[in-house]
Amino acid sequence: MTKCRPIPSCSVGIGLRSPHVSEIAATRPELAFLEVHAENYMAETPALDRLLALRSGYPVSLHGVALSLGSAEELDRGHLNRFKALIELLEPMLVSEHLAWSAIGGAYLNDLLPLPYTEASLDLFCRHVEEAQQALGCRLLIENPSTYLRYRHSPIPEAEFIAEVARQTGCGILCDVNNIHVSAWNFGFDPIAYLEALPIEAIGEIHLAGHHAAEDVDILIDDHGSRVAQPVWELYAAALRRFGPVPTLIEWDTNLPALEVLLDEAHHAEELAHVHGYVDAA
Amino acid sequence: MPKSWPMCTDMSMLLELQMRLRRAVLGGDTAEIVAAIQGDGLDPAARLGIYRNHAFATLGDALQGTFPVVCRLVDKRFFAYAAHEYLRAHPPHSRCLVEYGADFADFLAGFKPCKDLPYLADVARFEWALNIAGTVREATPLQAEALAAVPAHEAAYVALRLQPSLSYFASPWPIDTIWQANKEDQVPTIDLTSGGTSLEIRRAGEAVVWRRIDPGTFAFRTALADGLVLAAAMAAATLRDAAFDLTAALRHVFAEGLAVAFVISPQQETPR
Repeated sequence: MTKCRPIPSCSVGIGLRSPHVSEIAATRPELAFLEVHAENYMAETPALDRLLALRSGYPVSLHGVALSLGSAEELDRGHLNRFKALIELLEPMLVSEHLAWSAIGGAYLNDLLPLPYTEASLDLFCRHVEEAQQALGCRLLIENPSTYLRYRHSPIPEAEFIAEVARQTGCGILCDVNNIHVSAWNFGFDPIAYLEALPIEAIGEIHLAGHHAAEDVDILIDDHGSRVAQPVWELYAAALRRFGPVPTLIEWDTNLPALEVLLDEAHHAEELAHVHGYVDAA
Repeated sequence: MPKSWPMCTDMSMLLELQMRLRRAVLGGDTAEIVAAIQGDGLDPAARLGIYRNHAFATLGDALQGTFPVVCRLVDKRFFAYAAHEYLRAHPPHSRCLVEYGADFADFLAGFKPCKDLPYLADVARFEWALNIAGTVREATPLQAEALAAVPAHEAAYVALRLQPSLSYFASPWPIDTIWQANKEDQVPTIDLTSGGTSLEIRRAGEAVVWRRIDPGTFAFRTALADGLVLAAAMAAATLRDAAFDLTAALRHVFAEGLAVAFVISPQQETPR
């Protein structure tokens, strides 16, 4: 059966970085949305005022990187309150976080650290997602992380784990295609099988980004610092064929290029979405 | 098969695992966490190293962004070393990195390799004040007329609330001159014996501004910022400047939009 969703004129957004703000404000490129890291706007910096000014022209997607839903301790209520205040201010079209942890015992490590995937961590993670959705007053999308280590005891495959989180909590899934590619390379699993383990109805957004190969070991590192690699575009096409058209983000956080390069990547994603996102569902 | 990590059957096991990874990421002992990591064809320590490098690189970059002149004064390599030592002892509590580094100046003050740069910690204090002023929005200024309704016998007990971005900073070194000079490509020669500074730092619109203020005004405004009532603030100012003029000082406070609210605190003790 053919999917009935109308073809949007534009379904791809980009991550908003401060060096591009004035050019976007001046030239108003055609983009479906702008995504920002929530933690960069929790202080009342001039950057927040500039984002509020841009908001009249673009829907905003709010991407949390530090809620630390996987921590084996209570959620940080102060951080949740600041997140909630930002949601009320920005009225985002999507709110997302990660399948990861980044703080424990009062120390914030500024990274998305992996969880062991066990029954116990599944219970904990689901409880935290439910608490966060209740406190924030919205549905969260949970993103699959890129990982560089696995624990000896981690019996549940990641895709099954994240699918189960969505089933138990009603949250959506932010499918980061680059992260799937990176982790699949690093641990030798089949990225297509990973996509096929994700529930179609839960997918709310796709992320695309660049990665690089580590110098001394055979590991790919997700750095959001280059163009999307060809195998990731191919995996994106496979994701589109499985999930249909989904809001898609071009993420670029380090070695930031001219805005034009991000718009070019967004345009390519848009073309792929039109070719692969509207074919008969598998 | 290697000895496996015990089953994570409850939260305390997961908490212990996360505390061990935290220690390893922050440059501490790795032996305990290495035993819990699957090699997958690599030395688990190499896998840990990716996370550790990321933490030190990104948190070090955050500190460098907040303390650019400190970094220039000591050079990038030394700054990375100092940041590394600071991070190990003082990892961030806040998850907003713009708020990381509140006690970096105190750390530098006690950091032996920096002892030949006695002004360095005060440069860090100044940069922290600039950073904080940039993260706090200005409030609507209070108009002087708002005080007209205060009965004369209570006027001495008025405590003004100042703009949240305001801070007052004094140093025996010419910190503002050092800072400004190190924002230039060619750093001019600075006379370190030229005397100290008393500075007022605040946000003004999208910019953060600072200026030198005289000792009486500095004492007065510092006392107001500390929540003291007018009588106490005036007493503090008069100690520094016998000719201190309260009426003129208040006029300037309102003209510059520094006050945002007031309370009357008759219970606050005032010096005689």
